[in-house]
Amino acid sequence: MNGPILEIRELRAGYGPRTVLENISMALLAGEWFVLLGPNGCGKSTLLDCVVSRLRPSGGEIRIAGHSLRQAPFAAKQQLGYACAPDVLPGLLTARQCLEVHAAAKGQSVIGEDLLTLAEELRFTPYLEAFVDTLSLGTRQKLAVILALVGDPLLIVLDEAFNGLDPASALILKRHLRARIERRGAGLLLATHSLDIVEHYADRAAVLIDGRLKYVWPKEELQRLRSAHGDFEAALAAAISET
Amino acid sequence: MAPRLAAAKMMLVNRRSRAGVRPTSAVLLSAGALTALFWLEATVVPPLNWLRLHAVFCAGVAAVASAILIARRRAIKRAEFARSWLAAVPVSISTARFESLLIETLPALAAIGLLTIACGSYALVLLFAKRDEIFAPVAVWATLSGGIALGVLGSFLVPQPKPVDLPPGSRYVPHQKSRRGANIRRSLSGLGSWPIRQAFAWAQPKIVARAIVPILVMMPLGTMADTAMVVIGMSGIGGALLLVWSGVISASRLARRWLAPLPVQSGEVIRAFLLPACAVIIAASAIEALLLVVLNVSYRTAAAVGAWTAVLGCVTVGGGLTWTWIVRQNPKPRTQA
Repeated sequence: MNGPILEIRELRAGYGPRTVLENISMALLAGEWFVLLGPNGCGKSTLLDCVVSRLRPSGGEIRIAGHSLRQAPFAAKQQLGYACAPDVLPGLLTARQCLEVHAAAKGQSVIGEDLLTLAEELRFTPYLEAFVDTLSLGTRQKLAVILALVGDPLLIVLDEAFNGLDPASALILKRHLRARIERRGAGLLLATHSLDIVEHYADRAAVLIDGRLKYVWPKEELQRLRSAHGDFEAALAAAISET
Repeated sequence: MAPRLAAAKMMLVNRRSRAGVRPTSAVLLSAGALTALFWLEATVVPPLNWLRLHAVFCAGVAAVASAILIARRRAIKRAEFARSWLAAVPVSISTARFESLLIETLPALAAIGLLTIACGSYALVLLFAKRDEIFAPVAVWATLSGGIALGVLGSFLVPQPKPVDLPPGSRYVPHQKSRRGANIRRSLSGLGSWPIRQAFAWAQPKIVARAIVPILVMMPLGTMADTAMVVIGMSGIGGALLLVWSGVISASRLARRWLAPLPVQSGEVIRAFLLPACAVIIAASAIEALLLVVLNVSYRTAAAVGAWTAVLGCVTVGGGLTWTWIVRQNPKPRTQA
């Protein structure tokens, strides 16, 4: 598609009288993996909550695939895939029923072959008939990510989605997401503390401090950091401290 | 210092300040209830007399119910406390015992408190109305409170389960594993079954079944067997209706959080929740009407009560769903601009 997959303009949001996000503006392009970094409590999850319309911002605008989240929420959400926290998943539904509900919401008659293949690769298929409250944290995390990918969305939003996954599953998922956003021309917005993802998968990264986007590393700068063969973690930390 | 009680008090205060509950509303509510008592004074007398007539049976049921509930609560609270953030806080043995006892028996104490307020208010109303039945509420209070207190003591005789982790709610949900392969088709029907499963998870049929056995044993104590069976049936129906209603409200609120990022129409979700819940409520209301007929209530009255229960249940469930999915769907921004 032409234009950014996600466009945030002068976003302001918070809880009660406390403002958490102030004047956030950013754009996510097609085929881009964007990583949101920042210390605990800086507003990463609040920003994602605004993007997935779990929190209504007090100012600014969010557009997903050209649709305003405020004026055309249905069309915007049609292009959105969000992996919720494992504890939000309904404990008394089976994994299959969760997938059926997501498919119905996205208007998909059946779940796509590629997603079933991913479920097989993540060794999730045996748990399809199990109640969600009997699944382990990692298995619920897998379900949350699979649910986010139902309907092949243009914008994928993940909040610490690799927490609790075993290394093999995490690797399979990272490779799948990379291939998916390239094939589909989708955009991926990930909030995380894992710098290895920035090092190996991110196209751009940004650091959020005290509710403001302090610094955005463009693709070229991340590549320069990678090719320097130095300590990527130290280089990023230095860049953050400079901001 | 009793850390668990202090934490519980702080949570209560925080919750109350967040919900914006004011003491004046509680006072107004109490005044309203008292006025209603004056208004309905004559209609309350027959059920009160029935309770007094079957005092031993009622006390027995209250004792068995409180013994089972408190024993279960004790097991749950002890398992929860073992994993609690306060588990490692140093507390003297006497304080720990006192706060455990208070936390575990809280529902029984609350029930006795509510009974005291209700029966005391009604006794005052009868006193002002100069009625002869002034001792009826006192007798009912003494019988039921005594039963509850005996049940609390009896709960210590109920054997405690092994110290294992709390089972997931789905353990108590009847579920037939299907072999439908990997093919997954779209459907919102899962949402409809959620409140019914929630009701099963809360009720835990195994415990209900065990509770009925001692109640059956209580039957010869002054109450006819058929009356006791019907009363048990009515209580079961009432409990099931309450659980399904609470299940719908609870599940719809959780679903709202889960489905917020999805392009789903509120009407579709409400329909998915409402139809199975209403089917259960109507079926339960029909059984309730049948049981009333067995209790020698006229067909007309039984049908009216059943119909009212069904209508009230369906309307309140529909109202709750509408509130959750339409009124609260687009809340005002939470930050001051």
